[in-house]
This record gives sequence, C-alpha cells and structure tokens, in this order.
Amino acid sequence: MTVTQDIDIWTLVVNASVVVKVVLVLLIAVSFLSWMFIFQKWFAIRRARRQTEQFEREFWSGNELTALYQGAVTNRHTIGSLERVFEAGFREFAKLRGQRGGSDPSDMVNGARRAMRATFQREMDFLERHLAFLASTGSVSPYVGLFGTVWGIMHAFRSLANVQQATLAQVAPGIAEALVATAIGLFAAIPAVVAYNRYSHDIERLGNRFESFMEEFSNILHRQAVK
Amino acid sequence: MSAEALAFGERREPALLPAFVLAALVHLFLAAVMFLGVRWQSHPPETVVVELWEAPPAPAPVEEAPKPPPPKLEPEPVPVQKPDIAVKAPKPKPKPEPKPAPKKDVDFKKRLNEEVAQEQRAIDEQLREAQRREAAARQQAIAAAARDRALATWVDKIRAKIRGNIRLPGDMSGNPEAIFDVTQLPTGEVISIRLRKSSGHRGYDDAVERAILKASPLPKPDQLNLFERQLELRFRPQDK
Repeated sequence: MTVTQDIDIWTLVVNASVVVKVVLVLLIAVSFLSWMFIFQKWFAIRRARRQTEQFEREFWSGNELTALYQGAVTNRHTIGSLERVFEAGFREFAKLRGQRGGSDPSDMVNGARRAMRATFQREMDFLERHLAFLASTGSVSPYVGLFGTVWGIMHAFRSLANVQQATLAQVAPGIAEALVATAIGLFAAIPAVVAYNRYSHDIERLGNRFESFMEEFSNILHRQAVK
Repeated sequence: MSAEALAFGERREPALLPAFVLAALVHLFLAAVMFLGVRWQSHPPETVVVELWEAPPAPAPVEEAPKPPPPKLEPEPVPVQKPDIAVKAPKPKPKPEPKPAPKKDVDFKKRLNEEVAQEQRAIDEQLREAQRREAAARQQAIAAAARDRALATWVDKIRAKIRGNIRLPGDMSGNPEAIFDVTQLPTGEVISIRLRKSSGHRGYDDAVERAILKASPLPKPDQLNLFERQLELRFRPQDK
C-alpha cells in the first residue's frame, strides 16, 4: 500500500519541506505572541475600566479637588489613566494660578486643558499598545499560512512529475501536510481579529469617557478660576 | 512634565505571567485537538483498504490448514491392509506345523519357520517401501497443489485489482476472453503488457491494458518464492 497508514499531525509536520517548516514555526510563534497580547490587553483594559469607574465615583462624590490631587500624587505609580489626566490638569492649573496671582481665567483653563490633552494622548497610546500587532497578525498570518500551503502543494506536485500513473495517494500526504500551514495561520488570525475589534472598541469607549471628563473638569476649573 | 514622562516610561503592561501561562494553555489545547482530530481521521481508509483485499485470500489458508492432517491419518488405514496379506502367510504356518510335527523332526519345523519369517519380512519391507513411496508422492502432490492454489490466489488478487480499474466500453456485447502477457518487476511494477489473444473488441482490449497499467504496482504474493516475472492474465467482461 502506497499510502502511509498512520497519518497523524506529527508525521505530517516532520515530512514537510524546510520552507513549510519555517512557515509553521513562524506562525506558531506569532500565534503565541498574539494570544499573550490578547490576554494581557484583556487584563489591562479590565483594570483600566475598573480604575476609571472608581475615580469617577470619587470625583463626583464631592471631595475636595486638592485632596484628590494629593492622593493622586502620592499613589502616582498605581493610579489609572483618568486619574493621571486629572493630576496633570490640576497641577498645571495650580502652577498657573500660583505664578502670577491674578492671571486670565481662560488662560489658566487653556493651560490645564493642554496639559490634560497631552496626558490623555499618552494614556491612549499606552492603552492601544500591542493592538497594532494583533491587527497585523489578523491580516497577515492567513497569507503566510497560504504561502506555506502553496509551497507544500507545489512540492507535492513536483514529485508527481516523473510518475506515469498519477494517483491521489501520491499527492494526498503532501497536500495534507501543506494544509496544516493554512490551519495554523487561520488559528492565529481569527482570535487576533476578534480581539482587535473588541479591544479597539473598548478603548474607544474609554477614550470618550476621558474626553467628556476633561470637558467637565475644565468647566469646574473655569468656575474656580473665576472665583 | 519630565516627572510625568518618567512615570510613563516606567509603566509596564500588567499580568505578564498569567498572560503567558494562558497563551501556553490555549496552544496546548490546540495541539491536543489537532493530534486527536487528525489521528481519528486516519483510521477509516485503513479498513476500506483491508476490506478489498482480505476476501479472496481468506479461504486459501483455511483449506491449507486442514490438509496436513490427512497424510498423518493415512498410514492408519494401510496397516489394516497388512494383516490381510500377513494372514495368508501365517495360514500355511499353522497347517504344516501339525502335519510334520508328529511325522518328522524339529529341524524341519525350525527351517520352515525361518523361511516363513524371512518371507514375511520381505513382504513387510516391500509393503513399507510402497507406503513410503506413496506417502512421498502424496506429499509432493499436496505441496504442488498448495503451490498451485497459492499461485491461483495471487493471480486472482492481481486480477481483482485490475478488474476494479476496468472501465467497460459502452458498446460491449457478449463475453469474449482477452489474454495478456504481463511482465513485472519483483516490486510488482508492470514493465510490459503484451496482448496475446484479443477479445475481438478493440475498446475492451484497450480498457484492460489501461487497467493493468493503472493497477501497477501489482499486489505481491503471500510467499515471495511464488513470484513470477511473467504472468498470463485472462479477462472476460462479465467476470465476477
């Protein structure tokens, strides 16, 4: 019998050509990294959301702004993104107010706003870190897998060229081992695409929340400046 | 500003280790699924292949197995014949005994006994010789028959494989026989096909020739010493 009886995945991988093996190793590494980032981002986003909710609750419960600012400064390594935005804005506001005694209220608010926007950008950048990797994994790894498959099938057909009687049994193992590459490519791509869409949506919502907070906080600062 | 930038630079993604462990778990799961899934799929073709081939050779070993006992049993009926002949010899023995005994001396009786015994021995030897020859001939015949049978099984196997590949032409009628001489390598690969006797239908001859080519490599015999490079294969469209 020409067909090998025990086609398990290991024999397929071991018999594959070098290019297919390289593709497989690459895809497995990419898949591993992307799953790591999926879990990491999952934890990070969950934490960011929890911290944001907690700070909003504290902020709107009517605490003194300076007390909040002191708390943020003392815990600056563990605080969440929204609290960092608040801290940057309030620090700038306090500096401007202390500098020249009676400066223009709108100048003070604008200064605080610029500081908040800078911190906001940095926080968004931090939250979106590694999302680009997920996006490119989702879009590229199917093609890499497809490349491995096409290469493997080319190999399988080349061995068929010097045989007079072409049977399916001569090509089938080659094609099967080539298709493993596509399978792993898709396995890496599908979760990455799903996670990318999900996480970018989550981060956008968080960003909206930060921006509306910035607007509201500017109004509060303006009221304080006028006072 | 610089303090903030520093704080930003220090920040690390949380939960690196749990993420690593979870990713490893996901991949272990994938590996398990792939191993089990693919191995499970490889079984059905195996049984399909076996089904095709097991049917013809099965009866042959069954017939061969009971055959060896008969040669062992055979010697038993022969001894039954021996008494028949031996009875004739002892018969004269008791008859002369009572007659000369009273008349003549014991010497004569002794001699007579010896002669009779010698004769008896000669007869026995001849019988044994004949038996041996017979048994040898029978064994040879059995071996030849077994060989023939094994050869026929093998040829049947080959023909079965080829017959599976024959696509009968549409305008086939009757049941003419086509005879092919096929030369093969010990690996079963077909080297040449020669049409010895056409069936009279060009299309059928061609179909059989194509089928023989397609069946290469041909199945190997159960015992390798049965192998023959040249085979004469006969095909009829309505063979079963």
